[in-house]
Amino acid sequence: MSRLELYSPEGLRVDGRRWNELRRFDCRINTHPQSADGSSYVEQGNTKVICMVSGPKEPSNKSQQNSSGAVIEFNVSIASFSTTNRKKRSKNEKRTIELNTTLERTFEQSIIRKLYPRTTISVNLHVLAQDGGLLAALTNASTLALIDAGISMYDYISGISAGLHDISPLLDLNTLEESGMSFLTIGVVGNSEKLSLLLLEDKIPLDNLEDLLAIAIAGSHRIRDLMDQEVRRHANLRASKLVK
Amino acid sequence: MDILKITQPEALSQDVESDIEMSDNENEVTGNSLVTPGELVTDDPVWMKGHGTYFLDNKTYSSVAGSVSRVNRLLSVIPLRGRYQPETGDHVVGRITEVGPKRWKVDIGGKQDAVLMLGSVNLPGGVLRRKSESDELQMRNFLKEGDLLNAEVQSIFSNGSASLHTRSLKYGKLRNGIFLKVPSNLIIKSKNHSFDLPGNISIILGVNGYIWLYKTPSSGRKNNINASSNKAQASFDAKGGYNPGQGSVSITRLEEESSWEIYSDKNDPNITGSVRKNIASYYNIIKALSHGELGITEQRIIMGYEASLAYGNSGSLIEKEAMESICEDVLNSEKMRGDAS
Amino acid sequence: MILSPAERSYLYDSLAKDELIRPDARADYQFRPIEVKTSFLPSSNGSARVRLTDGSEIITSIKSKVVLAAEEKSLIECDIDIPGFRDDSNFVANLKYNMTSLLNKSFPFESLKLTSKYAFKLFIDCVVISYSSFPLTFISIACYLALKSTKLPKLISDVNDEETAEQPLFSDDWENAQYLGDLNDSKSFNPPLIIVIGVVGKNLLFDPSAEEEQVLENGIIISWYNNDISTPIHNLNFSVHSNMPNYKGLSQQMIMKSILMARKHCANIVKALDQAIEEQTDDGVIF
Repeated sequence: MSRLELYSPEGLRVDGRRWNELRRFDCRINTHPQSADGSSYVEQGNTKVICMVSGPKEPSNKSQQNSSGAVIEFNVSIASFSTTNRKKRSKNEKRTIELNTTLERTFEQSIIRKLYPRTTISVNLHVLAQDGGLLAALTNASTLALIDAGISMYDYISGISAGLHDISPLLDLNTLEESGMSFLTIGVVGNSEKLSLLLLEDKIPLDNLEDLLAIAIAGSHRIRDLMDQEVRRHANLRASKLVK
Repeated sequence: MDILKITQPEALSQDVESDIEMSDNENEVTGNSLVTPGELVTDDPVWMKGHGTYFLDNKTYSSVAGSVSRVNRLLSVIPLRGRYQPETGDHVVGRITEVGPKRWKVDIGGKQDAVLMLGSVNLPGGVLRRKSESDELQMRNFLKEGDLLNAEVQSIFSNGSASLHTRSLKYGKLRNGIFLKVPSNLIIKSKNHSFDLPGNISIILGVNGYIWLYKTPSSGRKNNINASSNKAQASFDAKGGYNPGQGSVSITRLEEESSWEIYSDKNDPNITGSVRKNIASYYNIIKALSHGELGITEQRIIMGYEASLAYGNSGSLIEKEAMESICEDVLNSEKMRGDAS
Repeated sequence: MILSPAERSYLYDSLAKDELIRPDARADYQFRPIEVKTSFLPSSNGSARVRLTDGSEIITSIKSKVVLAAEEKSLIECDIDIPGFRDDSNFVANLKYNMTSLLNKSFPFESLKLTSKYAFKLFIDCVVISYSSFPLTFISIACYLALKSTKLPKLISDVNDEETAEQPLFSDDWENAQYLGDLNDSKSFNPPLIIVIGVVGKNLLFDPSAEEEQVLENGIIISWYNNDISTPIHNLNFSVHSNMPNYKGLSQQMIMKSILMARKHCANIVKALDQAIEEQTDDGVIF
């Protein structure tokens, strides 16, 4: 198979986007009102994720109680059918455990945990389809579901991935692009330039890092705005409905 | 009535969609002010910081998505959703989750289980009786895991959890009916949370969204209770158990009724089919109001009941269309009465 | 779920009455309403989502693979995933066993045959997103809907490949893909279903809720295929996290009665499901 051209000299990517364009981002909040305290659904390109938050609640396991603040648990489950080639995944796969830990670390900083002593907040994520940017989509879905659950947070955390093709940074990679270049995933705090998440597992020349981060932060801010619109749409709908 | 009624998820209505596309009107909101996490609420330091806010560099930010509330000098943001937040004086319905040393843990739908101290309940034999070690040993004979009760929030601990009491005749174990849950923000606080409804049904609308629907106790309540309490006590004695209050003379009515009867697990043996059917109808009406996100009040439940009489079979009330039409009927009759808020 | 003794006895008495009264006033044969969506996973051949009013939700995907028919034990592999449960837990293993045995006994396998050597193999994956009552019926409903909406690529090479070493060739154009049901032109394609029935006293009830499960005296599962009763048929304790404390033996009479009841109503369930597929709109809304 001839090597696919990920970024053409004319500045077009495999799916026709330019270097700084996001894929279609679609999100919904409060998708599972009967089965969770907070819920959301996020589509980032062809990556599709459901998030359901339960809590703050009495911990099922006494030993997990923490009197200084809520214990936050993430549980990502990746459906066997989420990739083009079906693959049965064990629940203790290393990759999944890493995702859980990364998300826990990220949200422990943004949830105001001290408000919920001796409780557990569990965040359950279901990956229905993946086409790149998985960690970013999981981060965004978690932010929305936590907001839906009414859990206090300092700010939105919005996630995005960006890769380096030769010397050009590319925003929001799909699977094909992820497999062909070095990339990183970040989570940005609100409209600031602060990162609460940075995952870089490949080599990237230090000289290019700044450009890459700049476009990723800009992309995250756009995602934050899109999520904020959905939160406000839902809030307004609710406010108009609640006739007291 | 269909054996299996199937619907599809609904697309967002068009006008809502178009709202989203007009991206820069984020601040245009219905009602007063809607804020989302991380949004600056005020940089005026005179405000006291309440729930749903945090303070950073002399500025107050929102930590939840909700509406800003300014009461006196207290600034808070009320989230759109969230678990029940207990307040002193709330009348709640709860379920025992754990029996511990001198206390029960009670699920009231909050962030943490509430606590019911052994000292906060009426024990058989009346209030004047002293609590003894034997009471502690037989706590499960009073209330055990799974038991439902209604109670009042007595106080709130510093960590936000509630302490309950049942030291009144209107509180205690629940019998003769069924339990259901609705989101607690649909329950509007009022002076009274227990009502008699048409059809010989009573209801306890717990402030926490936990609801108990049951047969209205017969009017000769007092006599009945005394009669059956003797029975209950007799049966307990037969098991070689506890003998509270025997030989003592009843001093107050409270004491008299605080017999073992209040902890009985036995239902009234005469719950008729029509009472059971009415309970099922009310169950569906409350579910319908909750589906429509209408605040649930005594009056609305009764109006819903009247509207539901048009349905020959209340089993069809579980269908989405029927639920929505019940809500419409309720809102329309409110308009007609002119008491819509 | 634990009920209080008073709740339990109220519920039992209501359900055991000559004229049973369910907590939500449902008739004995009435299911709780469901919301369904099909064909929303572009990288699967078929998909369906089923949600109940109590929040229970199941997502099923069907993916296909071309295999040498002679090398496969079965052309269908069914897997069930319930987050929070190990795959080898009793709960998951039991659901998987029932679905696998249902599909292996009652499926028109001839429609999966491609050529004299090759066939499609279907991988059916069910994810139980959340549940409160025993989810088997709704897993089978999600599978039914997903199978009905499954599209497979159109074969363009010769059906008779006995002599050639070539692999089957398919049309590149997804527009030409065919519904699984259209591959077998002989008769209409109806995947099998499983119905769970609760037993209380002399009464039977379809689709018991989680509360109702707590007072059942027994549970029966009955399968339905091609407009008739099929196997597996057996009895089961539906209550996953606690025992059904009223659990009792099952009389032959009740088994016969449950079969009659299923025979009377199942065709209408199939009809409702088929109609729901007809009415599906392609608006991209999943929730």
